[in-house]
Amino acid sequence: MHARKEHCILPRMTTTPVFDAELLRRHPQYGPRYTSYPTAPQFHEAFGERELRLHAERSNADLIPRPISLYVHVPYCFSPCFYCGCNRIITRDLQKGEFYLERLLREISMVAPLFARDREVMQVHFGGGTPNFLSPTQLGQILDSMGRHFHFSDSPTRDFSIEIDPRHVSPGDIAKLAQLGLNRASLGVQDFNPDVQQAVNRVQSIEQTLAVIDACHDSGMRSVNVDLIYGLPQQTLEGFAETLATIIKAQPGRLAIYGYAHMPSLFRAQKQISEEQLPDTEMRLALLALAVERLTGAGYQYIGMDHFALPDDDLAIAQTAGSLQRNFMGYTTHAACDLVGLGVSAISHIDESYSQNPRDLAGWEVALDEGRLPVFRGMSLDFDDTLRADIIQQLMCQAEIDIEEIERRYEIDFNSYFSGARERLAKLVEDGLVEITATHIVATSKGRYLLRIIAMCFDNYLTSPNSHGDSPRFSKAV
Amino acid sequence: MSSYTPSSRAARVAANDGDDLHFCSTCTFSSVCSERGYDKSRLRDLHVLVEHIGPFREGQHIFREGDRFNSIAGVRAGTVKTYITDRNGREQVLGFFLPGEVIGLNAISQSRYPCNAIALDEVLLCNFSFSKMSELAASMPGLQQQLFRLMSEDIGKATLLAGDHTADERMAAFLILMSRRYASPDMPARRFRLTMPRTDIANFLRLAAETVSRILKRFQTDGLVRVERRDVELLDTTRLMEIASNVLRN
Ligand code: SF4
Repeated sequence: MHARKEHCILPRMTTTPVFDAELLRRHPQYGPRYTSYPTAPQFHEAFGERELRLHAERSNADLIPRPISLYVHVPYCFSPCFYCGCNRIITRDLQKGEFYLERLLREISMVAPLFARDREVMQVHFGGGTPNFLSPTQLGQILDSMGRHFHFSDSPTRDFSIEIDPRHVSPGDIAKLAQLGLNRASLGVQDFNPDVQQAVNRVQSIEQTLAVIDACHDSGMRSVNVDLIYGLPQQTLEGFAETLATIIKAQPGRLAIYGYAHMPSLFRAQKQISEEQLPDTEMRLALLALAVERLTGAGYQYIGMDHFALPDDDLAIAQTAGSLQRNFMGYTTHAACDLVGLGVSAISHIDESYSQNPRDLAGWEVALDEGRLPVFRGMSLDFDDTLRADIIQQLMCQAEIDIEEIERRYEIDFNSYFSGARERLAKLVEDGLVEITATHIVATSKGRYLLRIIAMCFDNYLTSPNSHGDSPRFSKAV
Repeated sequence: MSSYTPSSRAARVAANDGDDLHFCSTCTFSSVCSERGYDKSRLRDLHVLVEHIGPFREGQHIFREGDRFNSIAGVRAGTVKTYITDRNGREQVLGFFLPGEVIGLNAISQSRYPCNAIALDEVLLCNFSFSKMSELAASMPGLQQQLFRLMSEDIGKATLLAGDHTADERMAAFLILMSRRYASPDMPARRFRLTMPRTDIANFLRLAAETVSRILKRFQTDGLVRVERRDVELLDTTRLMEIASNVLRN
């Protein structure tokens, strides 16, 4: 899909985003996060191994086949964080990691032959769960196997990253991970306040966390990302301000501020969180406003969605150059990769298709044991899907749509093709979130914090403009 | 399963199908008749010979080596690849046929097809029974000439890359030639989609698939072309022509 389009070296995003709480309050809709379009609920089980193989073959047939991006899902966690919406399994039994590793290696050896040998791996990402549930040695075995079955790029710009739970890693481990070639780390922090940490069952000291950040910097990793969450139970402005100050002092190159989405019917762990302890909408907005204010005040640049970066970080540079990309792993600087997901529940994006591994461990294991590719659902994108995915990608990354470029690339008349979207956009234009000229649709400085609401106008699967208004399938846009 | 996203009209629009009185828009013979001002009844005489066949699906054979030759076929939509299999069972790609081009011409001098023809995507054909065609050609000199022209072009295409040329020369020549063949009134040939997979292009040019990509990447860095997936844009035709000049001279 053209969600992964070529670079376009034009200075963009010159408007500084303006955080307008009043506007955000008027758009409290729910919406998808658009790490993919169409979004995962559109995947279906008629898409299986055969379709996946066809798409892989087609992806090899390109004149210059895309590089490859590998995602490895490690589902295990030592204890349950109550806010968690991830696919994870709680255990302290390290033996499970060993069994999981075995099957992962099998999956790697089965999946790799689908791809032409000369396709370079530009990106590797370990996500979870808790990737560091596995030891550096075990992670090394995975990297080793991937390196043998795929063709790792030796470019200095390759990104090999890992999500780390700072509670279960030592500075010595970090050095080992760096030695394995991992050059970016992402740390879960959420909030340092002890009451909040109690309420979400994730107690993690400042010292522990800062030691890990330092170890990442010392071992030569190119960047450290820290995840914070607003909207958690017991959260206060004072507490969150302290968390922000502590983190800013540690100077991670990247920061993500996620909004907590309370959907206990979907994520069982969240039943442990009592609704009364949750901040209300006003408070959520105040927390977000605080984060935006403190981060921009400290020199962080707003990238889009939930992400901030220091101006000398690759993400900020790519954003300025207009070459930013977005995929299941969030924002990235790597153009047009085919994404190969490994492990339980992992999602792949190969050629014009999405596919997903079984979300239950048993389903994934059985498929591998029977020698099948473990794909349980997915979808092939048609012309309309691809076109809209491209537009949403442009919005999420450049905060604007180049109408002429889209018309040239897809040979459509933009205004007639998107008459429905134009109607939905009208309201956002009125609110000053969007400006439409003859050649561009641009998110205004205020609209930059509501990109997903603008993107929803182009989502063909949210048919009527209001039907998604209170859909609990998606997390809150704010 | 969805097809590869169409971004060029040529890839998306099949031939205008014609009717009892009109030829398909891609028909290589229609101009012969129209130019001569043949009346409709005469056109109908010729059209009687024409039988639309297909669609053939990706990977489906149209004819195989050794099959009895009885017709040539104009491609109305899609891409056809011809190939033979050598003694070691290795495939050798002989050529590609685009809408408006004719397959089976290399069988005219024989009674059997000397190669295999396979559809690379969804292919629609116009079958011309060759015996009836030659009858008609006897009374229609324009048709006769058109047939001769097509046959010699066909031979030219096949021998073009036979010489001792460098990989760069072959690649550049291939791009130039394909851009000419993809040219049509409503689509400038500076931008076109190569509908064949890179392994087939590589095989046709007698190069490794990796080499095809490596050369194209280099051409791209040097500002000669822009490549996205299977789409090609020629940015510097003059320099490409220079590189290809050894091949194109013949
Ligand atoms: S938030 Fe992360 S560490 Fe906590 S339970 Fe979920 S996946 Fe595990």
